[in-house]
Amino acid sequence: MKTNEELKEIAHFIAEYATCLLGSGVHTSRVIRNSCRIGESFGVAIRMSTFQKTIVLTTRDQESANVHTEVIGIPALPVNFAYNSELSALSWEARDDRLPLDLLREKFHQVISRPTLSPRLVLLLVGLANASFCKLFGGSWAAVGVVLIATLAGVFTRQQMQRRGINHFIIFTIAAFVASTIAASTLAFDATAEIALATSVLFLIPGVPLINGVIDIVEGHAVIGFSRLTHAFLVIICITVGLSCPLILFKNSLLL
Amino acid sequence: MTLLAELLADGALAAVAGTGFGAASHPPARAFKYIAILSAVGHASRFFLMTRCGVDIATASFFASFIVGLLSLWFGSASRCPMTVLYIPALLPMIPGMYAYKSVFALVMFMQHLDEPALAATYQQELLSNLIATVSTVFLLSVGATILIFLLPKKVYSLTRRKGNRDGITR
Repeated sequence: MKTNEELKEIAHFIAEYATCLLGSGVHTSRVIRNSCRIGESFGVAIRMSTFQKTIVLTTRDQESANVHTEVIGIPALPVNFAYNSELSALSWEARDDRLPLDLLREKFHQVISRPTLSPRLVLLLVGLANASFCKLFGGSWAAVGVVLIATLAGVFTRQQMQRRGINHFIIFTIAAFVASTIAASTLAFDATAEIALATSVLFLIPGVPLINGVIDIVEGHAVIGFSRLTHAFLVIICITVGLSCPLILFKNSLLL
Repeated sequence: MTLLAELLADGALAAVAGTGFGAASHPPARAFKYIAILSAVGHASRFFLMTRCGVDIATASFFASFIVGLLSLWFGSASRCPMTVLYIPALLPMIPGMYAYKSVFALVMFMQHLDEPALAATYQQELLSNLIATVSTVFLLSVGATILIFLLPKKVYSLTRRKGNRDGITR
């Protein structure tokens, strides 16, 4: 049987665990499953409601039927699939090895304090990815080169603005504007300028919330699923606005 | 170019694209090689379906995504990664960028020619058809791989569990 204090401790940990997963791009049913699994390992039933910005979490001791409820905010973290893998594995470990709470918390903090890929490496990889995208769509090698430069500039702009904590939507608009304006330089010398323009902003497409949103909806978590899609949709509007500027400026050469 | 060379070229480019976009979502290091293979197989199979079998982009994306989902189940078990960690980055190269771009372009042109009914109607139609193509492709892309979660839930949910414990016996 758990004392109220113990129940609260468990609730605190699961709150931290679940919000960290939800904030870093894990679809809802997995978060709930993982959290319930950890709860079970302590003999505690977990019930939660998930929304875009908060979760409501109730822990109930299965023997004494004591209950503890909290509302916790979901932090806006960058997408991190390493959390998804390692923290899911941790939930199985908790269940299979009956880890005590202190050890579980220590392991959790170990996972979330692991270093992520360096921003420069990400910059380079995303640049190459977008350039090969351009080739995939049938762009010429000149267009591929310009897209590489445009993407590097766009990602760099985004990273710098993110570091300064500028509003998310403004970041996406400006990054799309920078990348597509540079890509528009192909209009002067290249027949595949349209492909260069189209691919230059693709690195900004919020693929993870789009796919997670659809997964959530088909799994019955429609509220949070549509919230994710709404957010992705707003980001796409921002990209559209950024891309429209060079299109309006240079539309005459595009129509020829 | 022979079919095989075309498929290889398509797959190689998609692998770079998938790995690069995947890197932005910080997957665990051991996942990268699987993401590269999945991106290549997914995009190359869609390319094959579209160019050789005459399947439209949305349907082809659905089947390619289903193949990616199947493989990600197998790879996920080998690497102890959840399926979504492997297949979401691998699906990103299949996002229909040209249709998305053409929708934006048509929207801009529509607004520029509001007072010329004939041109405005053309662009309006172009906007609608490109938008429908984009949205249905993205939707079927996400559903294709997710179906596996419905078909084999037990297997899908326990990929990150240590192998010895996967038979369902709990201590």
